[in-house]
Amino acid sequence: MIKINVSGLAAREIANKVSEVAGDDVAVHIVTDIAGAKEVAQGEADYYFGACATGGGGALSMAIAILGYGACFTVSTAGKLPREDEIQRAVANGVKAFGFTSDHVDSAVPLIMKAILDARSSKG
Amino acid sequence: MWIRLGVMAFAGGLGAALANRGIVIFHDGLRPAVTELIEGRMPRSQLAPIAFSTCFGLILVFGIPFTLASTVILSHALWLGTDIIGTWLPGPFEKNGAWKSRLGLLGSIALGALYGTMLVLGLQGFILLNDRLPVNIHLSIGEIARPVIFTLAAYPALTVAYQYGLKHGLVAFLLTLIIRQLASKLGLAHPDTWALLTGLALLMSHAIQEGRREPAPKDSFLIPLEQLKRIRSHLPWIVVLGATYALASNLAVLMEGPQSLLALAHGDRLAAIHFTIARAISFLPLRTMSALTTGVFLMDGLGFAPTLGLVAPNAAIAALAGGIVITVEAISLVWIAGFFSRYPCYLKVVNNIRTAMTKLLEVASLVGGMVAANQMAPGLGFFAVAGLYLLNETAGSPVMRSAVGPVAVILVGITLNILAFLHLM
Repeated sequence: MIKINVSGLAAREIANKVSEVAGDDVAVHIVTDIAGAKEVAQGEADYYFGACATGGGGALSMAIAILGYGACFTVSTAGKLPREDEIQRAVANGVKAFGFTSDHVDSAVPLIMKAILDARSSKG
Repeated sequence: MWIRLGVMAFAGGLGAALANRGIVIFHDGLRPAVTELIEGRMPRSQLAPIAFSTCFGLILVFGIPFTLASTVILSHALWLGTDIIGTWLPGPFEKNGAWKSRLGLLGSIALGALYGTMLVLGLQGFILLNDRLPVNIHLSIGEIARPVIFTLAAYPALTVAYQYGLKHGLVAFLLTLIIRQLASKLGLAHPDTWALLTGLALLMSHAIQEGRREPAPKDSFLIPLEQLKRIRSHLPWIVVLGATYALASNLAVLMEGPQSLLALAHGDRLAAIHFTIARAISFLPLRTMSALTTGVFLMDGLGFAPTLGLVAPNAAIAALAGGIVITVEAISLVWIAGFFSRYPCYLKVVNNIRTAMTKLLEVASLVGGMVAANQMAPGLGFFAVAGLYLLNETAGSPVMRSAVGPVAVILVGITLNILAFLHLM
């Protein structure tokens, strides 16, 4: 079971999308950004997803503060769409927190979930 | 005109210089990367492309369209540009000698000032050009502002709905509506303000009740003292920044967000003030935490400098008040962070306010965009803007939903002028 914490703008949309894509393989929780990132830092949750209006900005600032810059990845910003290869690489590099714009929930979430689930299944 | 140019040149030079020294950064996503540079974990050669890719798109699809639509410069158009300039030029954090760092600082000031000047001239050129064209975009584009301004009073009720459920939200929404109607019927000035205050009072009463019930979290947030010291050591520069920002707001040259920008351009200063306050509150915990954890301050402070710029009766008082309020903001960072970590329900409230305001802007700017385009070209306008909105969705939303309205109106305007030029209209 993969635990994912969701926060920020349109958190409910993100959570619904995660459940829709990954079904019973994941447990999604909507939390505040501080609590969400803290749980990931303490190992109580596996990943953190956040969105804001412009991407990168509000989406990840708490996560970066708590988890460090290297554990966070900005999937999309205004004018820059999510890209599968970048996301795959980020997951492989151990990124725990993903940020994107609230406009890109529908395109970003499936790509991130696919990368996470692929990484899990290849590990065995 | 000369005053506008001067203020924007100064703001541009100042913003780029502060970004170059790693003192203040506008983009929330770039700020932590600048900390990586300052603390030696990331070379500038790696930072510069990150700055460009995070900022440039946003200037293009957000800053410029709202600026052209309103004839007031959206702060994003200026400060994202100065972020890029300041991070590209060499600074004090690399081992490349003092002269190169000094050159980077001078270059930042010069390029930043040039950029600020270009924004004013470019906008002025667009306005002049428009007056000579067969179809004047600016005659209609004010229509975008109206729905945005009048949706202001809805955000507290929406926030109640997001946080406390649909039933409470609906009650708050109806009460807001009734008070607005009563105020308007009784002939009170500013019925929307009364409606807004009603909504806010209801939201606050919900939040206070939840705050009382909520147990205090066990672990509180640890304040990174090093970063706090770094921000405090830059206080003189931050004061100058706040004064400049408030001055530019007072002169209606520069505005902080799309809602206040449209309200100001439409001549509704009171609504603009409400919007600046709402936006500042909705970003309060985010901006506070971002500043405290990175040690890099925020170009718009905690957001109240533009508010005071709008409230101030003249430019001198605006500058003075801006300098004071940004100082208070910088000093109270720790207190604010402490408050939000003690009361998570207020953290949720402000996050939901942000969602509500974003969603309202998306709806209102789309409707406004359709009305504006339709005023230029009856029938065709509705068709074109709705079509462009959904085409943008299908393309995965490269243009932010809230900016599709203005972008589409500008595109329709350009197309109509081409058609008129070809005698096809």
